[in-house]
Amino acid sequence: MRSISKKNELSTGRSGSAGFGKKLTKQWQLLLMSVPMLLYVLLFNYGPMWGWITAFQDYKPKKGITGSEFVGLKNFKWLFSRPDFLQSIRNTLGMSVINLVLGTITSILLAILLNEVRHTGFKRVVQTVTYLPHFLSMVIVVGMAQNIFASNGPINQFLTGVGLIKTPIFFLGEGKLFWWLVGIINVWKEVGWNTIIYIAAMTAIDPSLYEAASIDGAGRFAKIRYITLPGIKSTFVILLIMNIGHLMEAGFELQYLLSSSLTIDWAQTIDIFVLKYGISKQQYGVATAAGMFKSIVAIILLFTANTIAKKLDESTLV
Amino acid sequence: MKKVLAAALALTMLAAPVFSVPVKAAEAQEPITLTVFRGDPGDQPAEDNKIYKKIEEEFGVKFEFEFLAGDLDEKLGMMIAGEDYPDLFDGGNSADLIIQNGALINLLDYVSPEKTPRLWAHIEPQLNRIIEKDEDGNDVMYIIPNYGLADGEQIVNQVNGPAFFIQKQVLEWGGYPQIHTLNEYFDLLDRFIEANPTDENGTPYTGFDILCEDWRHFCLINPVQHLMGRPNDGEVLVDINSDDFYTETFIDKPYAKAYYQKLNEQFHKGLISRDTFVMNYDQYIAALSSGTVLGMFDQTWDFNNATFALQDANMYKNTYVALGLVYDPEYVDGKEIEEHYVNGSLPNLRRGFGISVNCECPERIVAMWEEMMSDEWQMLFNWGVEGEDYYVEDGRLMMTEEQYANSLNNNWKLHNKAEAFTQSSPKKQGWIMDGELAGNCWEPANQPEIVFGQMSEYDKAFLSAYGYQKFADFVNPPIELAPYGEAWQIDYTPVDIAHQDFLDIQDKMLPELIMCDPADFDALWDDFVEQITPSATEFGEYMWGAVQAEAAKVLGE
Repeated sequence: MRSISKKNELSTGRSGSAGFGKKLTKQWQLLLMSVPMLLYVLLFNYGPMWGWITAFQDYKPKKGITGSEFVGLKNFKWLFSRPDFLQSIRNTLGMSVINLVLGTITSILLAILLNEVRHTGFKRVVQTVTYLPHFLSMVIVVGMAQNIFASNGPINQFLTGVGLIKTPIFFLGEGKLFWWLVGIINVWKEVGWNTIIYIAAMTAIDPSLYEAASIDGAGRFAKIRYITLPGIKSTFVILLIMNIGHLMEAGFELQYLLSSSLTIDWAQTIDIFVLKYGISKQQYGVATAAGMFKSIVAIILLFTANTIAKKLDESTLV
Repeated sequence: MKKVLAAALALTMLAAPVFSVPVKAAEAQEPITLTVFRGDPGDQPAEDNKIYKKIEEEFGVKFEFEFLAGDLDEKLGMMIAGEDYPDLFDGGNSADLIIQNGALINLLDYVSPEKTPRLWAHIEPQLNRIIEKDEDGNDVMYIIPNYGLADGEQIVNQVNGPAFFIQKQVLEWGGYPQIHTLNEYFDLLDRFIEANPTDENGTPYTGFDILCEDWRHFCLINPVQHLMGRPNDGEVLVDINSDDFYTETFIDKPYAKAYYQKLNEQFHKGLISRDTFVMNYDQYIAALSSGTVLGMFDQTWDFNNATFALQDANMYKNTYVALGLVYDPEYVDGKEIEEHYVNGSLPNLRRGFGISVNCECPERIVAMWEEMMSDEWQMLFNWGVEGEDYYVEDGRLMMTEEQYANSLNNNWKLHNKAEAFTQSSPKKQGWIMDGELAGNCWEPANQPEIVFGQMSEYDKAFLSAYGYQKFADFVNPPIELAPYGEAWQIDYTPVDIAHQDFLDIQDKMLPELIMCDPADFDALWDDFVEQITPSATEFGEYMWGAVQAEAAKVLGE
């Protein structure tokens, strides 16, 4: 974005305080068009931030924001005194990183494979089949996963059948396997969907590059290595930055539905913690404090990733 | 077309007298729609439901039901945060939350001996339990108990609450033995499953299931108090013989260790499957309904749907008998424990409909309840329409086989019963005390002609093999209700967080204890006790005070 705005500055010439007013009047149609969006952001994104004040209150709905007692940083102190909150930060980040790495690798891999397929019919079928699970409700996905990964489910039957293991693996009750289970389910559900954007980026690559490479004697792998991958690099970086901004959101439904008291130490994400102590126990102040903490960490992560990308001289988001 | 119309008209006219049983001339009131929240899952009644139609005709009231989906506390928390309350509000097991957050109005402003004589007569015998003090010391009543205000002698045909359950076929196979202790119970299950590893279809039997999901984890954490010979006090054990109602949490005590060690032993024998700890309620009911689960600790109402499914499939041998187990003397220093699973009847305090502060017509709702406490409406709610859903013979209320089958059919009930409303409303229970129907039961499920007349042949043969009259004969008759009632009803929200920790540690570690290597059991148990002691102490001390306060209310100190 920054590079684009730089170019704009150049093209419009000097921009001083006098020029600013001139520019305003000149671009009034554009400005007018942006007003609804601006209002939207103010109303729905900045407006609710007023509620952050409850993070410093012992908020009681009966008394409202104005009537509730201010307690300073008590809610934050309580949060960080809870071992299970620290655990849920760890779980959130752990599952996010697994989701991010597994998700990115598998979707780029699938995109490349699909890109190499020359048979259009086959390509379309594969694409449709892989992105259909995206539209399934998480409740259904978890229901299926619970059957598939059960002690007497198909995966365990297969593994014991071929003699890889002797006793069935307790996938659903083993805390340490939970993150990976989440990662695998997410890949299954989202890989096709995530592929779409990479495939779009690949179709934007100039075919003459491939032709030139062929003439120079490049094989398939060389073309992937030197043309396809660099061609989707900027898309990859932008998506990566955006995803890093979302690292604090490891998902909610999947963990909520799939976990049990046996796996809760590894399954509880910040969102679930907030629901459990904030909403169920009416500690709305604590819930807000946790949400605020999450947002601040997310902003820091986003800017860090952005700066790193800038240093590497890549296209950036902010 | 005209002919069809005429026929339809004629039919309607024929049906009209049937549909007009307890209609009283009511002053015309403008029709309203009340929003209703039920704190438990349920099904929407059918559009053409005959009882709701009658309520609408009589009172001009329509209902818009919302049933719980997901976690109750979360749902209530969201409603409280937005002050988004329905008119009629049943907070289920967490009504304390909505009361504390000021969501319900004080019904004493509307219910009094003068204004609502029927309702008042209904609650009067238990007033000292029902009326509470609010923060400022005023008398309040937020909810009229939905159950437990029964007329006449307590009816105990079967165990409705907690018990250890066992499939009838297991007892039959074992030669109808008397099973009274933990060891006898598991010993019989062990022997049965060894002799019959699978059912007739080749599906393996599960010996003992433990449901652990969400608030239904009482199947995991509650049994110890019953094994110690007390009825249901939730998560604490009250020493009823002490002067000051000494109350303690039991799960961290040595006598609890014996139970979980026994389960550990059974787990390693293969009687308990580890999948039971990750099972959700639907999967549990499905497992029970398949007839392959031989035993469990639970409460009768919690698996009613499985029982109905088994009865429907004519699998009576796979239905369950409630047993009142106690510890063998070896577990409790040689003490002989007397079993008390069934308690004296008590009002279901703070459970049922309250009227929310958002409701615009509380008088009208209370007036409706008052009218509905009449014998005519109660008959309609409980038994249905005479001639259609039941019949009267020599002053006795009866049902034909078809009517009885209907009354068990969930789909039929959605068209012909108003359960979504009546289950949470004040109601008459027990015996009909006056009028020409005196001596019958308000509820068909208690009516002797139904209980014994409609009993399956298998059940009859089963009971006669034991020489029993009814299934409640497997346990001791009810004991006198303690002055404090039952401690699970006590509002623990003041120690909410400690209580949550207390439960979380149990949810997490009890399954671990059951599954761990027997050699590690002692060490893990010590670890468990150490972890749970702080929250258990805080919760236990609070409960002791609360039990004393409840008892003082009734004893009038």
